[in-house]
Amino acid sequence: MSQKTIKLKIKRQDNPRSKPYWQEFEIPYQPLSNVISCLQDIQKSPATANELGVNPVIWDCSCLEEVCGSCTMIINGRVRQACTALVDQIESPIVLEPMSKFPVVRDLMVDRNRMFRALKKVKAWVDIDGSQDLGEGPIMADSVRATRYTLSECMTCGCCLEACPQYTKDNSFLGAAAFSQVRLFNLHPTGAMHADERLEEVMGKGGIADCGNAQACVEACPKNIPLTDSIADISRQTSLKLLKDLLLK
Amino acid sequence: MAKITQDQAHFLLLKINSLMGLIPIGVFLAFHLGINALRTVGPLQYQLSIDLINNLPFLFGIEIAFIYAPLLFHSMMGFYIYFSGKRNVGHYGYPRNWRYTLQRITGLIVFAFLIYHLGTTVAPKIFYGKHQFLAAPFLMDIMNAEFQTWSGRIIYLIGISSATFHFANGLWGFCVSWGIIIGQNAQRNASIVFAMVGLVLTFLGFATVLEFSLNPIPVTPTVGE
Ligand code: HEM
Ligand code: SF4
Ligand code: SF4
Ligand code: FES
Repeated sequence: MSQKTIKLKIKRQDNPRSKPYWQEFEIPYQPLSNVISCLQDIQKSPATANELGVNPVIWDCSCLEEVCGSCTMIINGRVRQACTALVDQIESPIVLEPMSKFPVVRDLMVDRNRMFRALKKVKAWVDIDGSQDLGEGPIMADSVRATRYTLSECMTCGCCLEACPQYTKDNSFLGAAAFSQVRLFNLHPTGAMHADERLEEVMGKGGIADCGNAQACVEACPKNIPLTDSIADISRQTSLKLLKDLLLK
Repeated sequence: MAKITQDQAHFLLLKINSLMGLIPIGVFLAFHLGINALRTVGPLQYQLSIDLINNLPFLFGIEIAFIYAPLLFHSMMGFYIYFSGKRNVGHYGYPRNWRYTLQRITGLIVFAFLIYHLGTTVAPKIFYGKHQFLAAPFLMDIMNAEFQTWSGRIIYLIGISSATFHFANGLWGFCVSWGIIIGQNAQRNASIVFAMVGLVLTFLGFATVLEFSLNPIPVTPTVGE
């Protein structure tokens, strides 16, 4: 009896220091399944074609609706979210790999800490209180709100960094997502009060000048964030700051 | 003056490097290809232009300050930038990612070409002491001979097109990384304009190669024995 199946080829790694290896899985076809549901099916009875009882495949996920970014992995050679990768729409066998720009924790699960450290470095927040009450913030124009809304959709998934030729495991490049967040918070009327501090953080090693304008980031972003506009905008802000610092300070 | 931190130096060096690609190196390239194209008007016109250059006051200083020092700086930074990234057009073959990769590869090609080019022009000129009005006939003899072989022609065609691509795409990168063009439309329009600049410069260079290849005419010094 021939039953329709889904074939998966998964790059596995047992711990952060061990060597990766490939395993192939085959599970019964179910309509409307996505890559996460396939991984769940494998987990029920993890077995490859010639080996029963292998370790279950580990992955990361949370929202299942492409807003948290935690299920990001390389699917058929391209980085994207596993929860919105529908089996009926992608090529088979489905090849799954962990992202290559972040340390692997286990199998498909990676440690995206470097992204969060970058957000801290560029102060990706609005300071709302200090030693005294700052009062009500200024009003924001609706056009600014609209631009900021788009930028605020970033889910720190890492697609832009995985696709970026300038972002490597052994350098300190901050990457497109962080630059875009600098723009987001410098656009905020209250956030703008700390604009210079944010710019200073991207005017060093690994900063905005290291971007090679390959623009792979914007192609890879699942949220269609205009990353290259953000990069050029932050380039302008930092260039002006450089001239100001050199000539007027 | 406040002490400059390592981070500030890094940023400043990359900014200066980006500026240098345009001024003076890019400006030099445009002038160089434009002036060489005088050869298509006639050998005398070309000779007079080389005469003018080789009779400039403080020529040595000008060449060092505006050509060799910036070129050396730009290429050393270029190697640094080349090795700071890891090209990935295999997986992400978007047109702009290709241009990022080509910008780096053409940089390497131009560097190799310039070693060859200076080795066959400026080096022998200095070695044999062919200054002022003696430079033009000497250099034009060399060029005439170089363009009689296919290997010579091909080296120049590759060198010229690599340089013009590198310059035109570099202009675009300069405008983005100084924040002169920001929006997607502006970026696309600018790339069309700069592509045309690149094509015009390529045309000038190729026309010169063609002229040298078809009409290798020797000349005698304009002034002197
Ligand atoms: C159309 C093809 C070309 C021809 C016929 C040509 C010819 C020459 C000649 C005759 C010189 C010696 C000038 C002198 O010392 O008076 C020269 C110098 C030079 N060329 Fe070219 N060239 C060509 C293409 C290029 C290209 C594509 C580049 C790349 C940027 C380039 C870069 C240079 C540089 C840096 C010098 C040294 C300039 C100086 O010392 O004043 N050339 N070229
Ligand atoms: S433009 Fe290119 S180099 Fe810059 S962040 Fe995006 S992908 Fe990386
Ligand atoms: S900018 Fe886009 S690709 Fe990059 S982390 Fe944010 S959502 Fe992901
Ligand atoms: S699980 Fe949140 S984006 Fe896929």
